[in-house]
Order: sequence, then C-alpha cells, then structure tokens
Amino acid sequence: MNRLAKQDGIVRCMPWRKYTVIYRSVLLENLQYAANIAVGFFSYAVFIYTFIMLWGYMYQTPGELIAGYTKEQMIWYVMMTEMIWFGSSAASVAREVSTDIRGGNIAYLMNKPYHYTLYVLAKYTGGWSIRLPMYAMLAVVIGTALVGPLPRFPLAAVPAMALCVVLGLTINAVLKMCISLFSFWIEDATPFQWLYDKLLLIVGTMFPVEIFPETLQPLFKLTPIYTVCYGPAKLIVDFSPEKCVEILAVQAVYLLAGCGLMFLIYGRGVKKLYVNGG
Amino acid sequence: MTRRKTSGGRLFCADRSGTETANEKDEVFRVCLFANKQSRKTAETGCMYTGREEESEMQAIRVENLSKTFRVKRKEKGMRGSVKAIFHPQTEEIHAVNGVSFSVEEGEMLAFIGPNGAGKSTTIKMLTGILYPDGGRVEVLGVDPTKKRRQLAYQIGTVFGQKEQLWTHLTPYDNFRFFGAIYDLTERETEARIGELSERFALKEFIDTPVRNLSLGQRIRCEMVAALIHKPKVLFLDEPTIGLDPVVKENVRELIRQMNREERTTIFLTSHDVGDIEKLCRRIIIVNDGQIVLDDSVEHLKSHYPNEHAADIGTHEREQEAAGSGDSSDVSLEDIIVEIYRSQGEN
Amino acid sequence: MLTAVKNQMRVCFLSIKYNMMREMVNKVTFLTNVGFMVLNNASFLVQWLILFRLRGDVGGYTFREIMLLWGLVAAAFGLSHILFARVFSLSDLIIGGKLDAYLVQPKNVLASVLTSATDVSAIGDLLYGMVLGLICSRGAGGFLLYLLFTVTGAVVFTTFALLLGSLSFWFVRMDLLQSQLVMGIVSFGTYPDGIFKGVSRFLLYVIIPVGMAVWHPVHVMTDFDAGMLLTVLGYVCALTAASVIVFYRGLRRYASGNLMEARL
Repeated sequence: MNRLAKQDGIVRCMPWRKYTVIYRSVLLENLQYAANIAVGFFSYAVFIYTFIMLWGYMYQTPGELIAGYTKEQMIWYVMMTEMIWFGSSAASVAREVSTDIRGGNIAYLMNKPYHYTLYVLAKYTGGWSIRLPMYAMLAVVIGTALVGPLPRFPLAAVPAMALCVVLGLTINAVLKMCISLFSFWIEDATPFQWLYDKLLLIVGTMFPVEIFPETLQPLFKLTPIYTVCYGPAKLIVDFSPEKCVEILAVQAVYLLAGCGLMFLIYGRGVKKLYVNGG
Repeated sequence: MTRRKTSGGRLFCADRSGTETANEKDEVFRVCLFANKQSRKTAETGCMYTGREEESEMQAIRVENLSKTFRVKRKEKGMRGSVKAIFHPQTEEIHAVNGVSFSVEEGEMLAFIGPNGAGKSTTIKMLTGILYPDGGRVEVLGVDPTKKRRQLAYQIGTVFGQKEQLWTHLTPYDNFRFFGAIYDLTERETEARIGELSERFALKEFIDTPVRNLSLGQRIRCEMVAALIHKPKVLFLDEPTIGLDPVVKENVRELIRQMNREERTTIFLTSHDVGDIEKLCRRIIIVNDGQIVLDDSVEHLKSHYPNEHAADIGTHEREQEAAGSGDSSDVSLEDIIVEIYRSQGEN
Repeated sequence: MLTAVKNQMRVCFLSIKYNMMREMVNKVTFLTNVGFMVLNNASFLVQWLILFRLRGDVGGYTFREIMLLWGLVAAAFGLSHILFARVFSLSDLIIGGKLDAYLVQPKNVLASVLTSATDVSAIGDLLYGMVLGLICSRGAGGFLLYLLFTVTGAVVFTTFALLLGSLSFWFVRMDLLQSQLVMGIVSFGTYPDGIFKGVSRFLLYVIIPVGMAVWHPVHVMTDFDAGMLLTVLGYVCALTAASVIVFYRGLRRYASGNLMEARL
C-alpha cells in the first residue's frame, strides 16, 4: 500500500509536459499517414452501407419504431459506435503492451523517466486525435447523404457529446491495458482481450441495448458497454441533459476505478519483474 | 579470329561469335578494362592466365555483352514534387549491367565481386533466369535462362548466405526430402543423396534436429546440402560465409573446394570476404557501375598489380610504418581490391 | 507430362503438409487459434437471433438459409486460407521482390507461391462452416452440393485475390485494395442478397464476386436450378483463367525488372 502511494506521488509530481510531447510527436507522425488512415474508410463504408440496407429492410413502414428507435436513429447509432471503434483503434494499445511485456522490452521502458502506462496512453491519444475526426467527418457525409440528418439534433450539445466520446475512448484503452498487463503473469492475454472485444462488438456496437431481451438489459448496463459505446452513441442519437449527466458520472467512476486498477496491476507486475528478474 | 586464339580459347566458341559484327566483337573482347591507361598492359597479360589452354574445355557460363537497364522514377522532394510527379513523371535510366562479357569453364571456381550496387546481383539474377536481359546473350550450361528457366533450374543450385531457403521448423532431413521432391528425385535417389552428402558435410548428429535449433555454422552446411541435393552442375554462392566464425568459415570453404573437386561443380561466388576469394578462387572478376573492370587470375593480380601501383596501394599503412621494407609482395589481396574499388569510385 | 503434373502435386502436397506441421509445433497455440475462430464465428449467431426476433425473414431468407449462407462463406474462406494463404499477401511478395526464390526452382511458380503458407485460424472457419453445412443443408445431396460450393467459393476467394494481387506488377499500393476487396466478399456475403437493391446488387455480382461465390450457390441449394449451377461453374472457370493469365503477364514484367523502382 505504501509503495503504491509512493508511486502515485511520483505520478503527481511529474510534469505533464512530457506526455504532451509524446502526444504531439505521435500526432505529427500520424498526420503524415493520413492517406493510409483513409484506406480504412472502405471497411467502415462497407459496414455502414450493409447496415443501412439491412435496417432499410427491417423497417417496413415509415415512422415505425423498433425498440424505441426510429430507422434514422438506429442507423446513426451504429455509425457512431463504429466510428468510435474504427477511430480509436484501441487494439494498438493491447498489442503494444503485450509485445513489450512478452518481448522483455518492458525492462528498458519501465526505467525511463515516465510512467509506462501513461506513455502508452499518450501515444494512443495522439493516434486517435487524427483518426477520430476523420471518421467523424466520413460518418457525417455518409449519414446525411444516405440516411438523412437526425431529427431535433441539438447542435449546442455537441461539446458534451464529444466529451462523452473521448471519455469512452479513454476508458476503453485503460481497460484493454489492464487486460494486457496480465501478461506479467500469464503467457498470453489475447483470449481475454478477445472476449472483451467480442462483448463490445456484438452486444455494444451492432445494436442498442434496448433491442435485447429485457432481462438482459440491466446486466449489459453494468458492463463497460454502457460507458464505452452505448452511452456516447445513445447521447448523440437521442440527447437529453439528464442522460448526459448520468453517463458522464458513470464514466468518471469508471475512469477513476480503471486507472486505479491499471496503476495497481502495473505496480504489482513491475515488482514481480524485479523479484524474478524478468 | 586471331585475337580469339590469343586468349587461349577461354572466351567464346568460334561458332557463336562468328556471326557478330567486328564492332560487337571488340566489345566482347574488352573483357579486361582498367580505368587508367598504364594498367592496360597488365590487364592484357592478366587475361591469359596459365593453366587453362585446352580448346576442348566446355563452358559452363557464357555471357556476351550483357546489359540491363532499369527505369527509375524521379521525384522531387516534398509535396510539390509528389504533385509534379503525377503530371510530369520523370524517369531516369540506370545501367545496372552495361555490356558485360565473360565466360566460366566447367569446374572453374570464379569470384565475381564488386562494391555494393555494382551490378553483381542483377547479373546473377539474369544468369539464373529471374531477370530478363535487355541486351546481349546468356548461356548457362548451353541453356538460355530467359527461355528455359525451369529446364535450367534442374541443373543449378543457389545458396544465399543472407536468405534462408530451409524451413526452420523442420529437421534438415525433412528439408532435404522436400528439395528432393522439388527436383523430381525419387525417394530412393533422395535417400541415397542425403546419405552421401550428410556424410561429407558431417550432418549425422543433427540431421533430425529442427533447423531453428541449429547453430549458424550447422545451418549453412544444411543450406548447402539442400542446394546440392540434385547434383547441380553450377552452384551460385552469394556471401556463403557471412556471419560465420573463422573456424566454421574455413570448414565451409573446404567443403566448397571438395564439392568442386569431386563433382566438378562450377562455383560462381560473390562475397565481400577476401578470405573466401583468396582461398577458393583462382580467377576473379571485379565489376563496378555495371561493367567489368578486371578479369584476372588471383595469383597474377597479387603478384603484378602491386608493382605497377606501388605508389597507390597501402599508402596509409606505409605512412604508419615509415621504415617498412617496401616489399610490394606484402600487399594483401584485400588492399588491392580496396584500391581498385577506390580508383573506380574516383573516375 | 503426366509425371510432371504428379511431381508438381507431390511438391504442393509436401509444402502444405510442412506448413501445417510448422503451425502445429505449439499445440496449445494451435488449438487456441482454431477454437477461438470457431467461437468468433459463432458469436455472430447473436446478431441473427436478434434480427429474427424482430422479423420472420431477413431479405427473404429464413434463419436456416442465413446459417447456410454464413457457413458457406466461412467454409470457402477457410479452405482458401488453409491451402493458399500466400495469395492473400501476394502484393507484398511482388513489391518486396520476393518471387526470386520461387523463380530458381524448377517448378510451376504460381503453384509454389500459392501453397507456400497457411493460416491456422482458417481451420476454425472451415470447421465451423462444415458444422453449419451438416446441420442446415437438406440431406446427403444437399450436403454434397454444399461441399461443391465450398470448393467453388474457395476458388473464387483465391482467384479474386490472385487477380487483384497480380495488379501489383503494374500498380503500387494494390496490397491495400486487394485486402479490402477480398474482405468485401466476407462483409457483403454474410448478409442476404435480398437487402441489396439496384446498383449495389449489380456491383456485388460484377465488381466484388459475392453473387457467384455465395448468393447463387445458396439459391441453388434452397431451390435447385441447374442453369444457375452451370452459371456458377462457368464463372469460376472464367475467373480462374483470367487471374492466371494476368499473373503470368505480370510475371513477365517482373522478370523484365521494371518493378525495380518499387524494390529500390
């Protein structure tokens, strides 16, 4: 406990400047590859197009509601969750951490004058700062052209929505990092990573939670699905100030708990490394 | 015709070059080309190194006036350059191989060397049928690699020191069986050949150990056996001893010598390791900028070149040991090669 | 001639066998890879269960037909990735100048390249596809048809990738287009054709061969139509011929060294 407090102290004293520098370098690097990012647009477009066609078939009469969603809302919901998924590419965090730990590179990185986990997060943030706006623009173009704009969309609430999306992205990365940090103890954390991703993808991104049987819904709301994809996307397609406050509050709790867990696991892992000598 | 005879029948057969114009013939015979005029004499005498005078000797490789030009796109730096390249693509021609002619006797061991980017690998690629030449003629074992690549493939072997041909997760034995199948050997032939080669290359103790668990020295021996499984008549060795320790290097060289002696395998060697050249090859061809700058016997090069270039060679060494004997025979082959590379670079 | 073909087959067989052996060196990793791919495919059942809760048919397909469609895509994708995994990264080989190694062998270049790698997780795809095929196809005859279409589908996957990959002999950055369009078969093929209309449906028969690889076969299986079956077979032959021709045209360009700029 003592050790953890000490470590926390180090984190607090550290100037945040170094993380902004890391963030900026990755940002500039990614800017040069903006064209490569655009290639992923194809997959995104294919996915969204299929869903537009699919929901176009499923909604038989105009104005029909499915699970409380209009056709436009249903499609925009998928566009937003997929935008978060494609735009953040949190898999890179998992890949980097796993490779560093399993490849032994961690021994060099943990003695650098920064906290390893924050270093990875800064890089991740630099990555999505380019990708996410690009995907957001693509989503808006596809959405307005093929689906039509959302009715009663509150432009004034966009900053709140953006904050929600960003918090969601970060929580996702923190949670994926926690899973990857288990590589300190187990041979390969990929299966757990996979289960977590599947949960988000199948349950969180394709359909809004309301479409599932009612008995399952409270269960899903307890999982990270609520803070990472459902929350932000729901807010965008159906905004209400109360819901916004609620989601932000849950996200704050998740973020604090997630980071605490992340520092704890990392600290334990590093200690194990010192004892066993990698 | 007379000139052809003076070169001791080592160059091209009469029936082939008879059809060429006088001009082309000149090209063909300008095998030995020094950049500076004083050395031309050396070059001409060097061409006729002793020991291979027999007219009947069959030629394993014949290359006449071989050329290969690559067209490379030029792009100015920066965004403007990229945009410009789309509308006005500018290309530049690079003469990777430019009028190269030589021939290799059957059973000969030849060192084919040159600085990085001199055109060595392009030449090898044309000899093995990977690349088509733009001009000139190639014949390997009487076959045109351009036209009958697969037919030729049965008769040549390749070892690339830096590229693995073996499957690393398999044992050498399984690997050899795979290569046996590639070269259409029957099971029995493959078995017999593996037995023979594993004895000669001393593979017995690790022939059933996966290749990834072998040391580099053991692995390169296996690479060579894989390349020899089909009794190739010509073996192309590209940096075969790279990364090996001195003892293993010597061991590998001895094996190459043995192959050459017992199966009369023609060896076409490229290497930056002067030890390989000195200990294996009697003849050396140096290429630079796509052209042959020297074609000589190693022995002759070592004994004659230093005398004529005493002033240039080993200047640094000489400065250091100011009171040195000045005996030119002390100059190593390495120094000579470095000096030739350097004088080419200056021109 | 016959012995040449026999020898070629022997080499291809050995190549595939050795690829498999490499992947099976670590048994746990191998089984995890295969197992997780089966689970991965099975997880999409959730999507379809939800959709069929909302409506009795999706794009005119019953749940059984959707499973048939899904299984066929998985099986064809799996088969092509087990046997010819290398074709899906053909662009890298061409741009990286890595075809040299195959050119010095006295064997058919295309056959050697295609069989020079395998994808283990694809075994999971094939397994899943076979299980769905056994459950959802009608009787022994239906399953035989299913097997036939698995093979034709795998050929479409392979030759379509070959065709696009071979364009790397002429154009740069075809690697991206190749993987995107090939995955397009999976993305579109796992949905019923009934939801696509007009131009998009036309494009999915012409640009991306989803129609001939998946939708036509499913129609033949649910409602047998000899004409449709022959169309599929004819299409597969034509695509194969076209891709092989383009590959060898490109190989000539490779040997002329005009790709050097990409390799420098």
